[in-house]
Amino acid sequence: MPLLEIKGLTQRFGGLQALSNFSFHLEERELVGLIGPNGAGKTTVFNIVSGFYQSTEGDIVFDGKRIGGFRPHQVTAMGMARTFQNIRLWNDMTVLDNIRLARYSWLGYGFWSAVLRTGHYRHSEKLIETKAREVLEMMDLADYAGELPKNLPYGLQRRVELARALAGNPKLLLLDEPAAGLNSADVEDLIRHIRWIHDEFKIAIWMIEHQMKVVMSLCQRLTVIDFGCIIAEGTPEDIRNNIVVIKAYLGDEAL
Amino acid sequence: MRRYTLNVVFCLAAVALVALAQAGALDKYVLTIITFIGINCIFAVSLNLVNGYMGEFSCGHAGFMCVGAYVGSLLSVAFFTNSNLFGAALFPPQWAPFLFPVVLLGASLAAALFGLIVALPSFHTRDDYLAIITIAANYIIISIVENIDAIGGPRGFSGMKKTVNAMSDVADLPWMLIWTIFGFFVCVMTIYRLMTSTYGKGISAVCQNEVAAEIMGVNTNRVKIMAFMISSGLAGLAGALYAHVYGYVNAQAFNILKSTEGLVMVYLGGMGSISGVLMAAVAFTLLVEWLRFVIPWLNEVSHAAGLLPAGYEISQIWKWVIIPLILILLMQFRPEGFLGNRELTQVFPRLKRWITFK
Repeated sequence: MPLLEIKGLTQRFGGLQALSNFSFHLEERELVGLIGPNGAGKTTVFNIVSGFYQSTEGDIVFDGKRIGGFRPHQVTAMGMARTFQNIRLWNDMTVLDNIRLARYSWLGYGFWSAVLRTGHYRHSEKLIETKAREVLEMMDLADYAGELPKNLPYGLQRRVELARALAGNPKLLLLDEPAAGLNSADVEDLIRHIRWIHDEFKIAIWMIEHQMKVVMSLCQRLTVIDFGCIIAEGTPEDIRNNIVVIKAYLGDEAL
Repeated sequence: MRRYTLNVVFCLAAVALVALAQAGALDKYVLTIITFIGINCIFAVSLNLVNGYMGEFSCGHAGFMCVGAYVGSLLSVAFFTNSNLFGAALFPPQWAPFLFPVVLLGASLAAALFGLIVALPSFHTRDDYLAIITIAANYIIISIVENIDAIGGPRGFSGMKKTVNAMSDVADLPWMLIWTIFGFFVCVMTIYRLMTSTYGKGISAVCQNEVAAEIMGVNTNRVKIMAFMISSGLAGLAGALYAHVYGYVNAQAFNILKSTEGLVMVYLGGMGSISGVLMAAVAFTLLVEWLRFVIPWLNEVSHAAGLLPAGYEISQIWKWVIIPLILILLMQFRPEGFLGNRELTQVFPRLKRWITFK
């Protein structure tokens, strides 16, 4: 059974058909890319899967459970994490606190425990702290634990966001243009990190990316969409030579 | 050792204050001011949870104080005194000092419940819209109270002095000072502990980036409602204390002007800073009292200097020109308040050697 299965996903925003009959499946431990020209509907797919939008039609099954109608925090609690195209960190909280908050779905205590500082609270917070420090250590971020994200360079902010997504021990990681705005040295770093995450955590990764270098060197399989429809699927090699894909990106005259 | 410095200092200060009051070293006026400082601290710190930490704009905080004041008064009158409204006392008056926390708790819960009623329909809106809804809620609460004749309507409600007297009969202590210190402690402790826990940091997360909060597993609707309920519940606690200190409540004491006072204290201190807001609450309460003396003095001086026409007197109403003026100047020249969103220990890191708050 696939980890994520999407069947006939359709999304309309008023008169605009953002996505039509999008079907897709992802096995455990796969690393798959979703590409397409600007405005093709890639982020819409991610927004539906992670619970921000409710799809007009279609079915999504994640980890054996239908998640249509789930709110984002419920999807997260099931073991899906994502990053954003434009970085969304909590800028007035330390990097460490940013990571700690990723454990919010698994806190294990409530308001009264927090106020009364029960043994249960202290135990849970200690676990969260250990986990957060561990993730920072693994992502080479331990030196920045006390910094505010807004004071970090862009490449590091991306890495903090990635670390935050990992702190929830996801089964599936959605990356929305992780290389956007990075210079070539940072991109090399990112490729190395993603590959390492994929091997080390043994999780599935589904990524949207424009930079062919990233997609071609990482993904085992690619899906190409244009105007909300799937126009091609296959290995990076296949896609590179696919005439329909070249047309979609470059126009008819390119051929 | 330093873990307990602040607690020890606080306890010593509290004991010293009570001892001074008990010995009669503080006159009644000074004692009342100190009590009101405590109540304003509770009021401002609780508002800070919503307006500071959560970054929403609640303008009707006094409405919840009103609920707390009335519910606290009614409970206290029903419990410990013979009244026309409730008949004979439910409990012997000697129990008053022991059961008073129940009165405070009841007032807080009632105010929290009202907070929930306001929060449920309004948290799909944000910013300006929430501000308007909370102002409206403030007016609705006052109107409801003013239109219930059984609790005095616009004439107000009294009888709480009997409860305070009943406590004094059991043991001759400055009871309301003690309860205010107790309320202050509960309020500051609750907010501080909440906001330093990962659970409470969900509130800051919603403030700083709601989309990220939602995706990282924070149930944003629930967090907002929780914060709003805690905030209004603690305002209710302030209200119940206020009612018993005065011995009399009137709904108009909790109108939009009182809410504005709360906003001034929060923005003066710095949004999202407990120590800043506490400093502001103390400074603001003292300022308002000081104006009581300054305004007549100003009046005399200007008349003596011939600056004002003979028929015109500067009255206490000018307080309501000066306080909003402070708010305007604050927004112009130091919009982040005394401390911004930092605590005292962050502004002066050396303090950390002496204190960590637990």
